[in-house]
Amino acid sequence: MSTSHAEHDHGHGSGNGDHVPHVLPFKVYIGTFSTLLFLTVVTVGASYVDLGHMGNLIVALLIATIKASVVALIFMHLKWDHKFHAIIFVSALLFLAVFIGITMSDTQFRGEAEAIEAKNPVDLKDPFKAERAGDVAVPKAAAAPAAAGSAAPAAGSAAPAATPAKH
Amino acid sequence: MANTATVDELGHSPEVRGKNYLNQTAGVWSWLTTVDHKRIGIMYLVSVLVGFGLGGIFALLVRLELLTAKKTIMDASQYNQAFTLHGAAMVFLFIIPSIPASLGNFFLPLMIGAKDVAFPRLNLLSLYLYWIGAIFMLAAIVTGGVDTGWTFYVPYASGVSTTSVISATFGVFVMGFSSILTGLNFIVTLHKLRAPGMSWYRMPLFLWSLYATSIIQVLATPVLGITLLLLIFERAFHIGIFDPTLGGDPVLFQHFFWFYSHPAVYIMILPGMGVATEILATNSQRRVFGYKAIAFSSVAIALVSFLVWGHHMFVSGQSELSSAIFSFLTFFVAIPSGVKMFNWLGTLWGGSIRFTVPMLYGIAFLFLFGIGGLTGLFLGMLSVDLHLHDTYFVVAHFHYVMMGSTAIAFFGGLHHWWPKMTGKMYDEKLARVGFALTFIGFNWTFFTQFILGTRGMPRRYYNYLDQYQPLHAFSTYGSWVLGLGFLITFICLARSLKTGAPAPANPWDSATLEWQTQSPPITENFEKAPIVTLDAYERPAEETA
Amino acid sequence: MSAKAEALGGAEETKLSPQFHVAHHFDKADTQFDAGRMGVWLFLVTEILLFGGLFCAFAIFRSKYFPSFVEAHHHLDRVMGGINTIVLISSSFTMALAVRSAQKNEKKKTTLLLAITLACAAMFLVVKYFEYSHKIHDGLLPGGNFTAADFASGHPGIFFAIYFMMTGIHGVHVVIGMGLILWILLRNQKNEFSSRYYAPVENVGLYWHLVDLVWIYLFPLLYLVG
Repeated sequence: MSTSHAEHDHGHGSGNGDHVPHVLPFKVYIGTFSTLLFLTVVTVGASYVDLGHMGNLIVALLIATIKASVVALIFMHLKWDHKFHAIIFVSALLFLAVFIGITMSDTQFRGEAEAIEAKNPVDLKDPFKAERAGDVAVPKAAAAPAAAGSAAPAAGSAAPAATPAKH
Repeated sequence: MANTATVDELGHSPEVRGKNYLNQTAGVWSWLTTVDHKRIGIMYLVSVLVGFGLGGIFALLVRLELLTAKKTIMDASQYNQAFTLHGAAMVFLFIIPSIPASLGNFFLPLMIGAKDVAFPRLNLLSLYLYWIGAIFMLAAIVTGGVDTGWTFYVPYASGVSTTSVISATFGVFVMGFSSILTGLNFIVTLHKLRAPGMSWYRMPLFLWSLYATSIIQVLATPVLGITLLLLIFERAFHIGIFDPTLGGDPVLFQHFFWFYSHPAVYIMILPGMGVATEILATNSQRRVFGYKAIAFSSVAIALVSFLVWGHHMFVSGQSELSSAIFSFLTFFVAIPSGVKMFNWLGTLWGGSIRFTVPMLYGIAFLFLFGIGGLTGLFLGMLSVDLHLHDTYFVVAHFHYVMMGSTAIAFFGGLHHWWPKMTGKMYDEKLARVGFALTFIGFNWTFFTQFILGTRGMPRRYYNYLDQYQPLHAFSTYGSWVLGLGFLITFICLARSLKTGAPAPANPWDSATLEWQTQSPPITENFEKAPIVTLDAYERPAEETA
Repeated sequence: MSAKAEALGGAEETKLSPQFHVAHHFDKADTQFDAGRMGVWLFLVTEILLFGGLFCAFAIFRSKYFPSFVEAHHHLDRVMGGINTIVLISSSFTMALAVRSAQKNEKKKTTLLLAITLACAAMFLVVKYFEYSHKIHDGLLPGGNFTAADFASGHPGIFFAIYFMMTGIHGVHVVIGMGLILWILLRNQKNEFSSRYYAPVENVGLYWHLVDLVWIYLFPLLYLVG
């Protein structure tokens, strides 16, 4: 766009601190407009092709983002504007992404712990009841005569089903 | 004030002597149509103080009701309305606009050497929107009250409650715009209107905290807007987005609400931190220790605040994955907060401390924010929160942060800048009495509630078990001392308007720019546009240190 | 044309936008102009996050009730949606050109372009009116008011809740935008704008482009992929 700069960068020596506009050539606007119309046709066309659950969504969002960028950069002059204005604009999108992203970390994974708990039910009043083999280290020598009742604490972990009767 | 010289010690010519923003024009209409940021700040100040009084009355009523385990002065539904209106008035009418819109509006342009904020008319519009929103909220009180809690949780607020939820939420919606416009105005003002020589790192740290606050106001408040709009439509037309019977998700409302309201906690505390920094710097009579660390920690808090909202929802039924993520991220808030704390202590260290009235508030802020902040870590811990959630521990924690830190900083700032705003000195002795009662009463009321909470007393309960009665009664007695403390403070300040001695330009010997013009300032703030040559908090004659 | 404007020197230049003075608290016109634009950009941020809440709801409920969204979106008229997309893009185009002609002191052209923009906005609302009345007639209303019976999927009401909220709030923005465009059109008739001072035209333009920008996302999400 160097030509557009040339259009206004000279010849305004008024010196009274007036604002001098930054005028873009007409063909830039026509080009932008035709790009937007073309992409509208493309996005409608793409919707007739079945790309699956996420496929169509991604394509639609991609095209929309290109269109939005064109509007922002050229119609909204962001390309020639202060960098800070672009930072403001992008930060809005960034925070929107945080908002949607973290919220979906809830909605997409809700209730998953319940399923895990259902597989391994725990009695809250007696959490150690559900001990399984290997939870407590058992000396090999002690494990063998467990049936004789000579090693009561070890027996609890080796044969959990039998322990409640003893307590 | 030397009357002999043609130009006094501040460089004011005789033409402006005796003239100020208060007496420039007269009459109610000149105030209602003013675009002077100082007058708008004063009008905001009066408005938020009225909001504070309203919220305070409801607070005293709630505490009085809780004096006994059964009915004391009101029935259960009146009690629900009282705590809702206490919360809503304190949050939306008082704390959120308190420091930024009143003290910020008044001092932000003065501190950067500007004549006004960037958009003076927008500033006035912001005040009018605040008033309109407040009217809708007050209308809700008259037309049936609100009993949802200040959080307006669905499905109760969207379907079950028979009170004026729509009026109240619409009021909050309108006030949101007021908040956005103030934030937007401040950001542009700080970018565009700093006086020559006033670089970013020469700004007083109060302005950094206001800048961070404004970022949150602009980014988070619109989400509150859409949340409340959806709630209003849900209630009026059953659109179903939050209604589980129609396939909606009530927990989604909480996400929407807290995406705003958690950052809003930092809208409340960040300006308080800024005011405390000014007070500590002035009364330690030295430059702030770790200037950049404090400045950037404000911005860091603002950014991190957007990542932790779900720690309000650990028991709401949100996914365990989110709970874990939120709990983890919550601890990052502690880092910039700790950075600030240590830098404040570093500022006091080796300073030549004067215990003026504002300084008492400043030191109280450090103490109370320490307690409020650290108990926040307990609650951010997922497993601990499951035990403490919705108990008085939470109530005590956020009162230490909102009231103990922000409101104390607000009143500290009020005492600090009162001479500049009104041109009058207040009675220091009486102000000290007011402070002492406030400080004692506050800890009396709310430290008790930490104990109540750890013993399992749930918040928002009307009746409770007899075993909690002694502590509840103790807390209620504290609230009377607290109320008395504020009453004395108000009397002290109000009396100074009539009987106070005229304030010199710089009564505290402060180094920042707002003290370099007369008290109260002229409408244009400075007779000659200032050119800044000194660093932040640097005094012209530094060699005396 | 701009060269002609620039050729106007000293005394004649003051005839452009004679009512305009740099506000007392700004050091120069450029600062005032930049401040205004920064303010508008910050305002646009708030608009994005306002709509953002609805985009968030769309993302969540689409993933939860995918079949409902697919079935419901077939009841939207993509021809009408497409026409409105083109109408809105055209209005954005004429708005951008209106800013350009204001920059170049072409007052009549500015008026004409603003009038076309206004007409496009009105046409957008007319099409929207026909769409809405058709939906209401078919009982395709949000949530609790949804009465259409021939749906196989479970939660089409949620789709229409989001559809009506999104397009409704967007429509309100179009109406507000029309008011703003009318306002600058009338000011332009009073010779207020020129290369010296056209900030209101540019700032209303920025707002109007954002309204277009939101629709650029709404159209494919609601009408095309569902």
